[in-house]
Order: sequence, then structure tokens, then C-alpha cells
Amino acid sequence: MIWQILLLSGVVLFSILAILSKDLIKSAISLALASLFLGILFFQMNAPYAGVFEISVVAGLITVLFMLTIALTKAEGDVRESKLARLIFPLVFVAFILIDVLVMKGLLQKVPALPETSESGAFGDVLWKQRTFDLIGQLAIILAGVFSVLALFRKRNKDE
Amino acid sequence: MNNTWFLYMAFAAGLLFVGLYCLLTMKNVIKLFIGIEVISKGVSLALLATGFVKKNTLLAQSLVITFIVVEVSLVATALAIIINIYRHTKSLDIRKLTKLKG
Repeated sequence: MIWQILLLSGVVLFSILAILSKDLIKSAISLALASLFLGILFFQMNAPYAGVFEISVVAGLITVLFMLTIALTKAEGDVRESKLARLIFPLVFVAFILIDVLVMKGLLQKVPALPETSESGAFGDVLWKQRTFDLIGQLAIILAGVFSVLALFRKRNKDE
Repeated sequence: MNNTWFLYMAFAAGLLFVGLYCLLTMKNVIKLFIGIEVISKGVSLALLATGFVKKNTLLAQSLVITFIVVEVSLVATALAIIINIYRHTKSLDIRKLTKLKG
């Protein structure tokens, strides 16, 4: 239990660092560290495939994409964030955590969730046989992403 | 209902709050997008924690993997849009986007 609390605190702490730090590169690295902690947590929850995806794709690929964008835009110090937002964040966050702890227990009893079942079989069976339609959706979204990036970066003809 | 689920969901709500706070107060476009990423972390934590507590880990894992694939596609497209915004306005300030024309 203590390990889980430590890992969860790490995720929240690095997420806070990611949104509060002034340097965008530091923000991106903090986001990657938060993903890393989340991935380790997934491993602890007996979900190795989700953990591998979280660490390799979210902590790896997305961080690289963020770094590339930050390097390509080179607008450091261009946007001034308000200092007030940084100063009042701890107060607002503590207030939210208090409300969260008080309200969440009652909320969880009301929200219906999946019934408790004992699953059997391998992960591949669930992903490829039960959730086949999700895979079609994933394919469609990947294709849409590829075409949208191609459309956004197309070069203009000289006649235009 | 047990304490483990409560713990995970409380932290997931905390992550969602951090992301929403970023979306409401920051002005840098990349920072706003980092806020969206933080929210997505909270969502995937909530999904997998619920699956873990209700002993549906396999189903929750496949949902989380679908979510991550969608997230990556979203990130690629959004960052391409951000680079285009920077080329247009020479700035990453979200307020300058209110002056779009034609």
C-alpha cells in the first residue's frame, strides 16, 4: 500500500511540476517522469501490457514529439504566464484534495461500475476476440492522424 | 467498494484537477496541451484502477491500450497544428488566436 501511495504521489507531483515550471523542456521531462511512475504503477496492478505501452509510447514517443515541437517553435519567454496562477495553485489544490477525500467515498458508492467477475484466458484473447471493434476504431484513428499531419505539413505549389 | 479503489480514484481526480487548472490559467499553447496530457493520465489511471479493483484487469488493459493509441494520434495532430499556429502568428500565445482573419 505504501509503495502505491508513493508512486501515485510521484505521478501527481511530477504532473504539478509539469504545469508549473517555466521552462517548457523541464515541463516535458516532468511529464515523461509522471508517465514513468504511472507505468510502474500499472505493472504493480498486474497490467504489464498497459505498463509497457505507457512507458514506451507515452513516456518515450510523446516526449520526443513535445521536444521536437519545442525545438521547432523556439518561443521561450515569449508568453508570460500570470504569477497569480502559480501562487494560488497550492491553496486551490489543497482545497480540492480536501473536498475530493470527503466527497469521493460517497460518490463511488453511487456510481455503477463493472460487476466483479473472475476473468480467465490470456490478454490476447480479450484484445483480439472480444474487443475486435476497438481495433478497427484504432486503425481508423491512426489513419486519420497520419492524413491530418500530412495535410497540415503539405507544401504549397508555386502557382498558389 | 474498498479503500484501494477510493485511493486510486482520489488520485485520478487530483490529476484531472491539475490538468483542468492548467487549461484554465495558462496561456502558452504547448503548456495547455501538457494540461490535456495530464488529464489523459488521470483518465487512464481511473480506467485501469477500476478494472483492477473489480478484477477485470484484462478488459481494462485493452481499453487503456486503445486510449493510448488514440492519445498518440491526438498528440501528433495537435502538435502539427501548434507548429502551424506558430508559423502564422510567430508566437505561442493563445490570446493572439482571437485575432484570426480570413
